Amino acid sequence: MGWRWFHQWGSPRWFYERAGRWQLVCGWLALTLLITGSFWGLALAPVDYQQGNSYRIIYLHVPVAFLAQALYTAMAVCAVVLFVWKMKLADVAMQSIAVMGFAFTALSLVSGAVWGKPTWGTYWVWDARLTSMLILAFLYLGVIGLRAAIQDPDQAGKACGILVLVGVVNLPIIKYSVEWWNTLHQPASLKLTEKPAMPASMWIPLLINILGYYIAAGYLILGSMRAIVLERERRSAWVRELVSHA
Amino acid sequence: MSLERRMFTRELKLIAARPGDILKPIWFLMLVISMVPLALAPDSDLLSEIGSAMIWVATLLALLLNAEHLFQSDFSDGVLEQWLFLDRPLVWLVGLKLITHWLFHVLPLILITPIAGIILSVPTDVLLALLVTLVIATPALTCFSGLGAALTLGSSRSGILGVLVMMPLFVPVVILAAGVLIRAMDGSDTLPLLALLGAFSVVAATFVPIVVSAAIRLNIGGSN
Repeated sequence: MGWRWFHQWGSPRWFYERAGRWQLVCGWLALTLLITGSFWGLALAPVDYQQGNSYRIIYLHVPVAFLAQALYTAMAVCAVVLFVWKMKLADVAMQSIAVMGFAFTALSLVSGAVWGKPTWGTYWVWDARLTSMLILAFLYLGVIGLRAAIQDPDQAGKACGILVLVGVVNLPIIKYSVEWWNTLHQPASLKLTEKPAMPASMWIPLLINILGYYIAAGYLILGSMRAIVLERERRSAWVRELVSHA
Repeated sequence: MSLERRMFTRELKLIAARPGDILKPIWFLMLVISMVPLALAPDSDLLSEIGSAMIWVATLLALLLNAEHLFQSDFSDGVLEQWLFLDRPLVWLVGLKLITHWLFHVLPLILITPIAGIILSVPTDVLLALLVTLVIATPALTCFSGLGAALTLGSSRSGILGVLVMMPLFVPVVILAAGVLIRAMDGSDTLPLLALLGAFSVVAATFVPIVVSAAIRLNIGGSN
């Protein structure tokens, strides 16, 4: 009985059914949070004395950029789980997180460019944080590309796992080297250790949106993991049964 | 003759049989370097300013060009599989392979860079710094491109995928090397950055072969 909670994760069917329920919870929660946070941030929060209304893209940009970085770490955790416990679900998670992570990185780059135009007068500068985000996007692309190139899913998963682990060791080095190379970006908007420089009416909706985007990412990742599980288990009886009922 | 000696001589014989493998990247490097002034302007002030950076980028590309085949032929003719049955640890053999690759395929590229520097009118002291950065940085780059090659062994038509996958990891090396070159250009102290570059290279050369052998084992053993 004691290890049951752990061994359950080895069953694709158990995961498929549970994840459907979790997805429902995540979906509604994310929707509520995002509507609240975005409405508060976009309509009710005060206008910035320096940047005017253009700062409001922060309610998209910052959560998405947070996620882009956090998802790489999540992918690395999945790689460790894959190698230590040989859990195939971790590989499924890695596959969906890579795609989602790339999407969020791209979104943060684009939203950053849109924000950069009115504030810095240009879409792109070779500033440290923009550059490391760009490199991060290439790292995600590498993981996606490597998986696509190798036919055997088990082998592809392990190769991606190795790549992700090497990447996660290198990420801090890349980040610091790029930072040393050039710094021009405004300092981080939110720090855990310090009181934020903006008023509460600005950062509370931001916090709500960050939470909302994290849960939304969970919703999306669970959805794509379920689809991958179905595809990989397409020969098993329970999938056939499920498909024939639908 | 010891196994290590035989691996070394085998490598030499392979090169003697196909000298194009060494010559092509050099040819490529010189071609890219000749395109720079044509695409830019024959103005030698501008060239001497950006020349060293251009040589670095071109060398990087040439390195990647020959790293693509690092393990591919040994994989397809079964040599890598035999490595697993030798009484030597796989990491040791991988390390030897990477060292011979550096000696026979990377060193010639570094030796040709002075000529590239002269035709781009790079000042002599900057050229010297360029050579030092290349010698220090290429072991790390060789290890990483070896990893890219090993990871993509499992795919039938990987092409330049290994390169694309590994390129982002070169960022710290390129930044540090560029820092050295910039300092060499205005005559300030380059030693601290060279030390950092060396540290990165040593750490990479120590740990990456372990990862490379894991990747090779993965691709040979299938799912074992």
